[in-house]
Amino acid sequence: MSTRRLVWWIGIPGALLVLGVMAFAIFEPIQVLPRIRLAPGYHLTDQSGASITSEDARGKITLYSFRYGNCGDDCDSIDATVGEVRDRVGEVDLGDTDFQIVTISFDPERDTPAALTAEAASLGADGDQWRLATGDPSHLENVVRAGFKVWYEERDDGSFAFDPTLVLVDGWGVIRGEYEYQTLDTDADKIIRHLDILGEEIRNASGAASLAYEAAHFFLCYP
Amino acid sequence: MTRTTKIILSTVAGVVVLGLIAWFFVLPRFQPHVFHGRVIQSNQTAPSLELQSADGTVRLSDFEGEVVVLYFGYTFCPDVCPITLAKLDRAMEIIGDDAEDVNVIMVSVDPQRDTPEMLKEYVEHFNPDFIGVTGDPETIDRVATMYGVYYEAEEGTEATGYLVNHTATVMVIDRDGYLKLVLPFEGTAEEVASDIEYFLG
Repeated sequence: MSTRRLVWWIGIPGALLVLGVMAFAIFEPIQVLPRIRLAPGYHLTDQSGASITSEDARGKITLYSFRYGNCGDDCDSIDATVGEVRDRVGEVDLGDTDFQIVTISFDPERDTPAALTAEAASLGADGDQWRLATGDPSHLENVVRAGFKVWYEERDDGSFAFDPTLVLVDGWGVIRGEYEYQTLDTDADKIIRHLDILGEEIRNASGAASLAYEAAHFFLCYP
Repeated sequence: MTRTTKIILSTVAGVVVLGLIAWFFVLPRFQPHVFHGRVIQSNQTAPSLELQSADGTVRLSDFEGEVVVLYFGYTFCPDVCPITLAKLDRAMEIIGDDAEDVNVIMVSVDPQRDTPEMLKEYVEHFNPDFIGVTGDPETIDRVATMYGVYYEAEEGTEATGYLVNHTATVMVIDRDGYLKLVLPFEGTAEEVASDIEYFLG
């Protein structure tokens, strides 16, 4: 084989390989959060007695957590995670989109607006970015148990057994992340990382880049 | 003309023709469809639904293999519902014959007042093929909640009676029973039609 041929046979595939690697490095693969399913629609009452609905959450990114009034130790770690996400959400660029936290109590009997106000104070929920809510028991069953798929059941002593879970919902009312209680040290990190990915999708929601983001959903490049 | 020139010219002509064919006939097939609402790629099928129409029980599973367009409204609805149903009727007209495989269903968010008969009369006023369904208040609350629909009665005037605030999105369920698309209230009949056509394939 002549030297010239050898250059062609090795040189061209080699050059293509180098170009491919460079392209991969430059156009990083897009990461998107899955669009899991629709978040439930709801109408509840917040700690100030005001109405709070799923329509209020439209156009905002919402982190949902679930608890009951006197849950004490059961809720400490999950409340801490939510607090940490609230404190660190400033690290993330969400464009013009607001971020809010809604904590839903499935114990409306004890969680009157007055009780919710006291809980909000101890949690540091300001009633604006972080609201506590509860409502009609049968509606709560549809919203929390069927809609958010967070299981809970009242025990004989009046306390509740439940699966501590956090749910991330986008501005279209689509569930983008479900975080079952694991080791909560890493949960806040994970949620912040996911908010960052969501922020990137929001900032690229128009123009040519949006096609790439929509396409990414079909290829399931989920983190 | 030398032989080389001939070869070069015919090669150039060939490339141009192939290029034109690719540009006008092949590339458009690879253009992604741009949706006018939010696409959901869920691995869970749409929440089940079993409600009453004037012609009997309606289940989501009745429409297996066909596209379902779901809307939540009520017959006393002053503005949003008539606009949406008229838009959906226009979209069916644009889709044409293929609209046979599309089932437009309006679920009542006012089960206290809406009867299956009232719903039938109401939706058929917009399109004789549209289906209106309702159920007992507990079932309606469950179905609406599961489909991400908020609704709440609110005081109206003496003439209108109470009004019901509700989420005004239109949902598209594909032939395999997956909820694929949420369309906002805004948007034209043409946009709705082109998105539904995508799911008709």
